[in-house]
Amino acid sequence: MSTFTFATAQYESGDWDSAPLVPPNIIDTIARYTEIEVNPTGAVVSLASPDLLRYPLVFLTGHLPVRFTDAERRQLREFLDRGGMLFVDDHNHDIDGVFHKTATEELVRTIGAPVLLPNSHPLFSSFFHFPDGPPTTTQELNGWGDNLVHKNLFAVVREGRIAVLYSSKDYSSEWGYHPENKRFQSVDNTRFAVNIVVYALTA
Amino acid sequence: MRLPPDSRRRLELAARVAAIALIAWMVVRALAPTARVEIDERSDSRSLGAALAQWTLAPVPTSVHLSLTQAPNARDRDWLRALGRAGVRVTWTGDSIAATVIEVAARTDPAGGVHAYVSAPAGSRATLSDAVGLLDSVAIGSGVNALTVPIASGALDLGARGEHARAAPPDSVLPRQIVVLGQAGWEGKFAIASLQERGWKVSSRLRVAPGIFATQGTPLPLDTSRAGVVVVLDTSAAAYAGAITAFERNGGGVVLAGNSALAPALRALAPGRIGARVPAASLSFASATPRRALGFYPIVSLAADAVALESRDGRVAAAARRVGAGRVVQLGYDETWRWRLAGSGDAPAAHRDYWSAVVSAAAYRATAPTGASIADAAPLASLYAALGPPTVSRAPLAIVGARLPWWMLALLAALLLGEWGSRRLRGAR
Repeated sequence: MSTFTFATAQYESGDWDSAPLVPPNIIDTIARYTEIEVNPTGAVVSLASPDLLRYPLVFLTGHLPVRFTDAERRQLREFLDRGGMLFVDDHNHDIDGVFHKTATEELVRTIGAPVLLPNSHPLFSSFFHFPDGPPTTTQELNGWGDNLVHKNLFAVVREGRIAVLYSSKDYSSEWGYHPENKRFQSVDNTRFAVNIVVYALTA
Repeated sequence: MRLPPDSRRRLELAARVAAIALIAWMVVRALAPTARVEIDERSDSRSLGAALAQWTLAPVPTSVHLSLTQAPNARDRDWLRALGRAGVRVTWTGDSIAATVIEVAARTDPAGGVHAYVSAPAGSRATLSDAVGLLDSVAIGSGVNALTVPIASGALDLGARGEHARAAPPDSVLPRQIVVLGQAGWEGKFAIASLQERGWKVSSRLRVAPGIFATQGTPLPLDTSRAGVVVVLDTSAAAYAGAITAFERNGGGVVLAGNSALAPALRALAPGRIGARVPAASLSFASATPRRALGFYPIVSLAADAVALESRDGRVAAAARRVGAGRVVQLGYDETWRWRLAGSGDAPAAHRDYWSAVVSAAAYRATAPTGASIADAAPLASLYAALGPPTVSRAPLAIVGARLPWWMLALLAALLLGEWGSRRLRGAR
């Protein structure tokens, strides 16, 4: 059986590596709560590389403007057409910010406009139950970024499956800490990452 | 002029004797015909219908011969067979008749359609039609030619060199859902996705953590009334081995993928044992055999009743066998999802077709009759079956005892009436 590898997308514009602690934290969470065989090291994969097709779930984040090259756009389109899933998180937590504006523009050009994902979507019950939708982040509550608590995620859905999951909640900051520090939390704030991975693997 | 009474009585007696003699002669002639008349009759394909009607009425021929340019239709063939059973020797020649055969089988596929297996003289051009009209034309090669007909209405007709073979539509196959069991992972995800995109209804129960499953649809309980095939992805499904075995023995299909046959409880169903995993033989999917870029578990020690379906470099990658009333297909592959994602060309479509073919090969086939239809799937072969092989030379024809002439009955009536009238006129009883 294939080992699950958490892959982070590398793109030429912007700061693709702005949340280096997220992958190990999610990997730790997957290993902690599930029996999914998970690669302990994760991977970084270029959006323009054919290697993108080796990782059916890819995480993309950043603060800076995102402009895909033609090769990145072409490869990403191929990836999504074949059933891959892209999880995009706005590290700025700002719907008026440059990442949000440019990343959504690029998504529209590449695959189509993300639409509001209802909070009753199976994503929110694929492992842990989140009846109120995506869990709120500290960054939202602290009033950083756009000073909004985003009630929903956005998604591009194909054949009934999420092809692109788009978050303005800044999980890149929320989950960007060393996994050992989970012991200081009363409730593990990375549990929603399990839902995303389980959804990607089973839906 | 009045005849003397004695003369009149003698004439009456003579008429009576003549009538009795005539009746006796007619009876003898009817029961033991002695007259045989040689009739050089023949019929060809065009006049066969009229000839059959003629031959069925008296005088019934003892033998008939047909010089055919086309195989008779099923009705005429049955008629000839009936004549043969009635004692008529039926012979035929027809070297120019093209042998055409068609056989159809319903596709176990959510898209429906039929597989048509046709044969006709090699090198000929054949047409395939249904009740609506022409479907396709095909250049006939040697042996059996297989065609897939996505949509067919009514009987299928194969036409080649003036001959037509007709096959009744097969019973409709009612596809049941596919149940996928195993560990959550990319193989299960993309196998399910491909099957669903191909139109199959899929339910799944994928293990995520101890006691926690990601479930789609209603995969359990396994029952042939609800499911056609269960796909076992790995050994984690061994917990359902009892239900899977019972399902299979009741006619259900089972696909044992990857290392699932390692589970002792499922080993009894498997067509073979699993060997050590073989790495991919190629780094690239861009070839005519893209699955060479996939690692697999070779199937070794095939059971005596198992059939290898796919081999790679002398190792069996897929095999099948029948156990009880069901079928088991064993796949050595455990990462076909890599083919779908990284394969060249339209790999997703190829992956969909592959998985659809795999489950079709194993699927329980619930059918619904499409209704009776006249079929004539192999006209020339049926002619051989009905009348035997053609004769080289035509046998002389003879008919049995000619029909009794009409005047004989008139003469008999005249004799009897004359005798009776004469007696009554002279006052005798």
